[in-house]
Amino acid sequence: MAETVIDVQELVKTFGPHRALDELDLEVRAGEVHGFLGPNGAGKSTTIRALLGLLRVDSGTATVFGQDPWRDAVAIHRRLAYVPGDVALWPNLSGGETVDMLLRMRGADPGAGHREELLERFDLDPTKKGRAYSKGNRQKVALVAAFAADVDLLVLDEPTSGLDPLMEQVFADCVAERVAAGTTVLLSSHILSEVERLADRVTIIREGRAVESGTLDDLRHLRRSRITATVARVPEGLDGAPGVHDLSVDGTALALTVEPDALPGVLKALTEAGVTALTSAPPTLEELFLDAYRVHA
Amino acid sequence: MNERYAGTLLVARQALRRDRLLVSVWVTLLVLVVYASAAATGSLYDTTGDRVDAARAINDNPAVVALYGPILDVHSLGELAMTKLTVLYAVLLALMLVVVVRRHTRTEEESGHAELLGGTALGRDALLAGAVLEGVAVAVAVAVLVALADVAGGLPVAGSVGFGATWLGTGLVAVMLTAAACQLAASSRTCFGIAGAALAVLYLMRAVGDVGAEWLSWLTPFGWNTRLSAWSEPRWWMLLLYGALAGLLAVAAQALRARRDLGAGLFAARPGPAHGSPRLADVLALTWRVHRPALLGWTVAVAAMGLVLGAIAPGVGDLLDTAAGRELIESIGGVGALEDALLAAVLSISAVVITCFGIAVVVRGSADEHDGRTEQVLATATSRTRGLVAALLVALVGVAWLLLVTGFATGLGLGRDVGGLVEAGMAQVPAVWLVVGLAALLYAVRSGWSVVGWGLLGLFLVLGQLGGLLDLPGWVTGLSPYAHTPAMPVEPFRAGPALALTAIAAGCLVAAWWRYRGRDIG
Repeated sequence: MAETVIDVQELVKTFGPHRALDELDLEVRAGEVHGFLGPNGAGKSTTIRALLGLLRVDSGTATVFGQDPWRDAVAIHRRLAYVPGDVALWPNLSGGETVDMLLRMRGADPGAGHREELLERFDLDPTKKGRAYSKGNRQKVALVAAFAADVDLLVLDEPTSGLDPLMEQVFADCVAERVAAGTTVLLSSHILSEVERLADRVTIIREGRAVESGTLDDLRHLRRSRITATVARVPEGLDGAPGVHDLSVDGTALALTVEPDALPGVLKALTEAGVTALTSAPPTLEELFLDAYRVHA
Repeated sequence: MNERYAGTLLVARQALRRDRLLVSVWVTLLVLVVYASAAATGSLYDTTGDRVDAARAINDNPAVVALYGPILDVHSLGELAMTKLTVLYAVLLALMLVVVVRRHTRTEEESGHAELLGGTALGRDALLAGAVLEGVAVAVAVAVLVALADVAGGLPVAGSVGFGATWLGTGLVAVMLTAAACQLAASSRTCFGIAGAALAVLYLMRAVGDVGAEWLSWLTPFGWNTRLSAWSEPRWWMLLLYGALAGLLAVAAQALRARRDLGAGLFAARPGPAHGSPRLADVLALTWRVHRPALLGWTVAVAAMGLVLGAIAPGVGDLLDTAAGRELIESIGGVGALEDALLAAVLSISAVVITCFGIAVVVRGSADEHDGRTEQVLATATSRTRGLVAALLVALVGVAWLLLVTGFATGLGLGRDVGGLVEAGMAQVPAVWLVVGLAALLYAVRSGWSVVGWGLLGLFLVLGQLGGLLDLPGWVTGLSPYAHTPAMPVEPFRAGPALALTAIAAGCLVAAWWRYRGRDIG
């Protein structure tokens, strides 16, 4: 098993009576893109802020690179770059100045990395003042500062919420390049397609608890596939069979969802029923997500 | 009412609600000063002869005339009583209206609130109109209250009404001026600069006009304030001048508003450098960069103020050379030569004013934390200690620098004893540091609490100004750090209180550091 970059166990953080993190577990391994999924208010940003040592947690343990984010914040921060979900810039500093400053504050040399190339790819004018940027452009400033130098870990909190689809593609390319260079990425998001495209493993968080965690394949194996088929005659015994759900019959067209264990039986029944057309789709992340929420609700 | 203005009343009411604390405190202070001046002048100068002498002394001193404007009728009690208020304090009224109007126009656009509101059923010009309406309402209220305060202070009714009318006129001009200025630039700070600079130019035109080229004073509302001659034979037609200027500015604001997009300025924002300076590489450089323009502005302002006050100090010494006047100055500045006492009083007030810079730096830290800038800095290899120390260094060194400049400039203006006045200025440093330290401690306890620092400063100011008048016990007035600095150059420097204040300030700063390292950010 690969080395663990972020290790969070039973993390609890309360704000007054509100339990923002409720025994959260999270493990991010070296070199992976880890999708951190959850709706607004689930505790994603709180987790990230705790991992950055900005919040003092009530109980549980968290380590980044094996170090304590509260005690060893500076040492950890030298090795990571962070893009907040809502980027606020300094009104009087130009975008270029901000990028260079953030890089230098992390101990990186702005001249050495891909700064110019990134500015071009993100189509960002570095001479505008901070107050003049739109939300998307503010986010680009933070992204360029994050991608422009080599780091061991990228912590991205809903990094594409202000970007257009074209820029989302540039972002995805940048993440892929960083990962190829060995960087670990923690990608928080509520955009499922983005996580599905980029992430190796996923943790789904709900009300401060991790409700699912694993590779997308792992999670899919636990879930139902969706099957549609056209048959010569409607097979007997599918309705109510163990592991078969949501069966609908429209003439000779069938649709159903099926658990992995029941799949051989269903396929056999369909073959006997003279199947002429068949599609089988793995569960989408969206279905996993909704499932995770349904099961634990 | 036009569709464009739909919701104006709602906006104005909401704006007034948001400003209720700021406006009520500011207005109360202005009205109190008017009342105190009206009531005190009668007893300050026992006979008409004293009064005429004092008025002539003012008119004979060009520096005083440049500051306050001339006294047109030397026999008038009201005009003498309102010397400082007719022009100089009217500037404070104008300044408040600039703050208020800008807050609900350009600042709202910059923060994006205007866009949010623009999506509702508000008319396109409702925000501007609402802010203007609020400003006008405040100006009317102030005018009525100061007129009443003058009457209550024992001044003639007709003159009091005239005086109130000049303030109303000044207020209306300030409101419309700000409304127009806020259309010009996309930055709220720049708009404040434009409005402030315009007021400064109008004030300087009057100063030059009153000393020499009188026609200049006829071109500025601050000159009209004197020339309406409220206290003897009022030229009521001059009210039309204020009205015409305000109307003109209102039309200009409206026209400028119609020509630009929401959030944009008339001047294109200047592009910045594409690359950061290698020196902008740590949090101290960043903090310095953020506050550098403000510190520069402050430096120019306190230097100019020091020069002017130093220059007029000898003249004011003559002016107040009556038993009661002497007592008044001595109560602020301590026993000693009248001139030195006045300088000591000026320096102690400067100390309070300069504290504002330090508190503003601390409060800015709260805003950075609220908006998420602090978070971005602390997510780099910047420790909390360094982040806090950077802000405190800029605040503490900044106020010390400003006090140094004040002392130096006052000495230059006076033309003697520069070294002594620099020492006198620096003697105020421990008290200012303590107040800034308290604000820092509040910030460290809870980010949003830093604004309470303004309240503390106001409390200390009131204790210092009213402590003697209200006969408060010594331990109450002694709560103000400013009460413990020696009134130099009258009194000698005392190391004991200075060390004690510095030690308490250091204690506050250490406590702030300890707390800031342990609390949640954001």
